[in-house]
Amino acid sequence: MRALSLRRAGRVALGASLGTLALAWPVAAQPSADEIMAKAHLAMYYPGEDMRARVTMRLVSRDGKERLRELTMTRRDLKEGGEQRYFIYFHRPPDVRDMTFLVWKYPGKDDDRWLYVPAIKLVRRIAASDKRSSFAGSDFSYEDVSGREPEEDTHKALREEKVGERAAFVVESVPKDPGSVDFSRKVSWIDSATWLPLKEEYYDRRGELARVFTAEELKEIQGFWTVTKRVMKNVQTGHWSESVMAEVRYNQKLSPDLFSERALRAPPAELSR
Amino acid sequence: MVVSLTIVFTLAFMTQFPRMKTDTNPKNMLPATSDVRVWNDEVDRTFALYEDMIVVGIANEKGVLNRETLGKISRITDDILRLKGVAAADVNSFPTITNVTSESGTLRVAPLMPHVPKTDQDVESLRKMLFENPLFINRIVSKDGKTTAIYVPLEKGANGKEVADKIREIVKREKGDERYYIAGDPVARDTFGAEMFTLMAIFAPIAGMVMLIVRYLMFRDLFLSITLMMDAVISIIWSMGVLIAAGFPIHIMSSMAPVFLMAIATDSIHIFNEFYFRYRENRDKKAAIIETMHAVGRPVRYTALATAAGFAVLLFMNIVPVRVFGGLVAFGTVTLRILSFSFIPAMFTFVKDKNIEKAARGEDISLSKASQFLKGLAGIGAHTPRATVLVGLLLFVGAIIGITNIVVNNNMVEWFKKGSDIRVADTEINRALGGTSTGYIVAISTEEDFIKNPESMRYIEGLQRHLERLAVVGKTFSVADYVKRINRVLHDDDPGFDVIPETKEAVGQYLFLFSTAAKPSDLNNVVDYPFSKANIWVQLKTWDAQAMAEVIRAADDYKKAHPTPLGIKPAGIAYFNLVWNDEVLWDMVKGFLMALIVVFAILMFNFRSFKWAVVSYVPLLFTILLIYGVVGFSGKRFDMPISVLSCLSLGMAVDFAIHFIGRFKQRLAESSTSTPHSELIIESLLWTAARPGKGIMRNAVLFAASFAVMMFAPLTPYITVGAFIVSMMMLSALMVLIYLPALIVLLQGWLFKGGLQ
Repeated sequence: MRALSLRRAGRVALGASLGTLALAWPVAAQPSADEIMAKAHLAMYYPGEDMRARVTMRLVSRDGKERLRELTMTRRDLKEGGEQRYFIYFHRPPDVRDMTFLVWKYPGKDDDRWLYVPAIKLVRRIAASDKRSSFAGSDFSYEDVSGREPEEDTHKALREEKVGERAAFVVESVPKDPGSVDFSRKVSWIDSATWLPLKEEYYDRRGELARVFTAEELKEIQGFWTVTKRVMKNVQTGHWSESVMAEVRYNQKLSPDLFSERALRAPPAELSR
Repeated sequence: MVVSLTIVFTLAFMTQFPRMKTDTNPKNMLPATSDVRVWNDEVDRTFALYEDMIVVGIANEKGVLNRETLGKISRITDDILRLKGVAAADVNSFPTITNVTSESGTLRVAPLMPHVPKTDQDVESLRKMLFENPLFINRIVSKDGKTTAIYVPLEKGANGKEVADKIREIVKREKGDERYYIAGDPVARDTFGAEMFTLMAIFAPIAGMVMLIVRYLMFRDLFLSITLMMDAVISIIWSMGVLIAAGFPIHIMSSMAPVFLMAIATDSIHIFNEFYFRYRENRDKKAAIIETMHAVGRPVRYTALATAAGFAVLLFMNIVPVRVFGGLVAFGTVTLRILSFSFIPAMFTFVKDKNIEKAARGEDISLSKASQFLKGLAGIGAHTPRATVLVGLLLFVGAIIGITNIVVNNNMVEWFKKGSDIRVADTEINRALGGTSTGYIVAISTEEDFIKNPESMRYIEGLQRHLERLAVVGKTFSVADYVKRINRVLHDDDPGFDVIPETKEAVGQYLFLFSTAAKPSDLNNVVDYPFSKANIWVQLKTWDAQAMAEVIRAADDYKKAHPTPLGIKPAGIAYFNLVWNDEVLWDMVKGFLMALIVVFAILMFNFRSFKWAVVSYVPLLFTILLIYGVVGFSGKRFDMPISVLSCLSLGMAVDFAIHFIGRFKQRLAESSTSTPHSELIIESLLWTAARPGKGIMRNAVLFAASFAVMMFAPLTPYITVGAFIVSMMMLSALMVLIYLPALIVLLQGWLFKGGLQ
C-alpha cells in the first residue's frame, strides 16, 4: 500500500486535471473505471482546501421511529487526495451536547480518532480498526463519511445509464481484501458531469443487496458541486438514515489548531453555536 | 347406483387435492391478531429483534480456546453468514460479537475476534478479553471455557429446519474432537412440523393396513374388509376435499384427521357384526341386510351423532386450527354414517352368498369363544355387582389422587425422544451456557429518555440480578450491562467503575459513544428509539412453558418490592410458548366440559331417559378418570397433545355404552312387555355382551390396532396419542362390558320403575 502512494499521488494529480478537463468539455473521451472512481473520490471527499457544514441526520427505524443527530463538521485537507483532518462538534441529542470528535485520516493506514466525553471531562483515544462501523449510530459508516480509497478495490466499468435526468457511469468495485469489509461488491452510478456518486449499491457476502446510497440533492456551492442531502438505506433491516448538509462553506482558511486534542475540550464558540 | 354415485362424488372431491397448502408453524395456532402475537411483533419491531434464533453449540473437552478450534469457529461462522435466511448482520459469535475494551488508553469497540489468533500469546489475550467481559460469560463462552455458541437469528419466514440442516452440513466438513450441537425453537418447531407430515403419510396407510388385516382375521372375507376400508378412505377424501376446497391450509392438527376418521369408521363394524348373526339365523341376504339396518340403525346413528358432536364442540374454541380440525372430523363422521347406511348395505348385495356363509359360520353365540368370554366378563358384573362397584370405587379414589398429581406444562423440545439430536443438543447447550430459549422483560416508561436515568439503569440491573437467582434463568443482559462496561473501560478498566454512572448525561454520552462504534443492533436490541423502553434479555435453560411463568412472577415480585414508574411486560418466544400453551390447554378443558354436556344431552335424547343417560355415562367418565389418574401417577405432564385428546375421547368412548344399552333394551323389549324381572335382565345382559358385545370388542380392538401403530413413532406426542387411545378404547370397552351390567343389576329398581321406557 505504502509503495503505491507515490504512484497514486501522481495518478490523483492527473485525475484532478482530467476532471477539470472533463468538466470543461464533457464526454471528451471514454474514461477508464479507475479514472472514474478516482475522480469521484476527489469530487465527493476533497472539494476545496477546507470545509465546514451543519449536518442534520435522521436515523429512521423500520417501524418509522426517528433519532436525530445534529453536528457541525469541519474538514481540512493536508494534501489533495491524501491526509485529512476532521473535527466534529455534536449539538444534538441534548445529552451529548459538547461532545467532540477528532479524526486524523491517513491514506493507507488506520485513522487516529479522539473523543471528548463531557460528562466525565475525559478525552479518550478510540481505536479505528473497523472503518465499516456505524458513524454516530447511523446507516452511514465512517468510510461513507470520509471516503474509501479507490485503490482498495478493483473497478470495472459496466455501462452508462441515466439516473433521473443525469447521465452516469456505472462502475462495479470489488474489494481486493474481501475479509476486511462487509460487502462483496459495490455498484456505483457516477454523475458524468459532476463526478459525484448519485447512487451506490452494496451487496453483502452472500451477493444479496444490503445497502443503497442515494444522493437526493446536489447543489453548486462556491463552484463546488456538493451532495447536500443523502440517504443510506439498509434494505435488509428496513432501517435508513438521511443526512442533510446546511451552511456549507468551502475554503474558510480553518486554523490547524482546531484539529488538535486541546480543541476537543474547548471548541471555538463559533462551532458550538 | 349408490356405489357409482359415491365414486363420482369421491372423484369430484379428489380434484381439489392438487390445491393443497400446508402450514407447519405452530405459531399459527394463535391468529396473527391475537394479543400475544401483536405485542411480540411490536416488541420485535421496537427492538429490531428476530422472532427466531438458532443456537449452535461447539464443545471441546480440552477447551475451545486453542488455535485449531478457534479456526473452526471462524470458518463455521463465516459459512453461516453466507446462508440464505440467516440475518447475517446480527449473528453473534467470537468473530462477530461486539467487544468493548481498553488497550493502553485506547478505547476499542470492535468485533471480539476479527482474525483467528496466530500465536499462543494471541490466544491468551483473547481468553483474557473473554473472561473479563461479563457480557460474554455464559452467553458465548461457558465458565469452564469448553463450550462456545454461535447465535444465528433468522430472517422472517426462513425455515428453521432448512437452515439447521445447512449448518449441519457446514459443521460436518470440520474434523477433530469438537462436538457440535444445533438447538433453538425454530429447529425444534420446523423439524417437528416436517416430521409430523411425513409421519402422517407413513402412519395413516400403515394404520389402514393394520385395520385391514385385523378385519380380515375377524371376518375372513377380503371383499368386505376392503369395503369397510373404502368406507374410511372415501370419507377421508371427502372431508379433506372440502377442507382444501374451502381454502384452509393443512395444519399439524388437521394432518391427524385421516387416522381419526379411519378409527371412527370402525363403528360400522357393528353393522357387519349384526349382519353375520342375522344371516346365520335365516340365510336370506336381503332380509338380513334390512333386519340388520333396523336393529343397529338407531345406535349407529346416535354413536355417530355423539362422535360428531364431540368433535363439533371444537368449533367453538378460540384456536383456529383446532376449530378446523373439529369441523373436519365432524364432517368426516357424518359422511361415514351416510356411507354406512347407503354404501355399505349396497356393497353387501355384491357379496356372494357362499362367502357370507363361510364368514357367518363363526358367528354363533354358543359356539364362538369370543362371545363366551365376553359373556363371562359381563357375568362378573351381573352376578357380583356390589363387589364390582366397590372395586370401581377404590379405583376411582386412586384415580382422583393421581389426577391431583397432574402437572400442567408443555415443552416442545420434549416432543422429541431423549436420545434425539435435537434433545441432546438442547440439553448440552443448556448445561454449559445460558440457555437456548429466550424471553424478554420489557421495561416501559411513557417519558422519553427515561431509561437514561441512573435510577432506571440501576432498577434494570437489580431486576436482572433478581431474575438470575431463578434456577431456570441462565443469563440476562440489558442496556445496563453496556453502560457499566463502558464506564469501566473509559476509566482505564478500573473495576471500581463497573457500576452505573451518577448522571443521566454520562449514561446518554456512553450510549452515544457505544452507538458510534458498535453494530446498530447491539443497542437497538436493548433500548427503543426514544429511550423510553428497555429490553432485558432472559436466556432460559429449558423450553418448559412454566419457566417463563416463573420469570414473570419473579419480575412482578421485584416490582412490588421496588416501586418504580417503570412498567414491566414479558415478551419473546418463551412468552409466546407460555401463552399458547395456556390458551390451548384451557381451550381444551373448556371443550372437554362442553363435550361432557353435549354428550350427556345426546344420551338423554337417545334413551329418552335421564336415568339411562346417567348409567351409560358412568363407564365413559370412569375410563377418562382412570386414564388421567395414570397420567398423574406416571409423572407425564398434562401437555398439549393430552389436552387435545381428552376433548376428543368423550365423543369416541361413549359409543360403546350407546350400543350396549340400546341393544340391551331392544332385547328386553323383544322378550317381554311388562316390567322385567331380575333373571330376564341378567339373561338379556349376557346376551348383549355376547352378541353386540362382540361388535363392541371388535370395534375396540380395531380402533386400538390402528392407533397402536403410533406408539412406534419417533415423536413423543404420537406415542402419547397412540397409548392414550389404545388404553381408552380397551378400557371403555371393558367398562361397558363389566360395569354396565353391574350398574343395571344394582339399579334395576330405579331404572325400570316406570316400565321399559
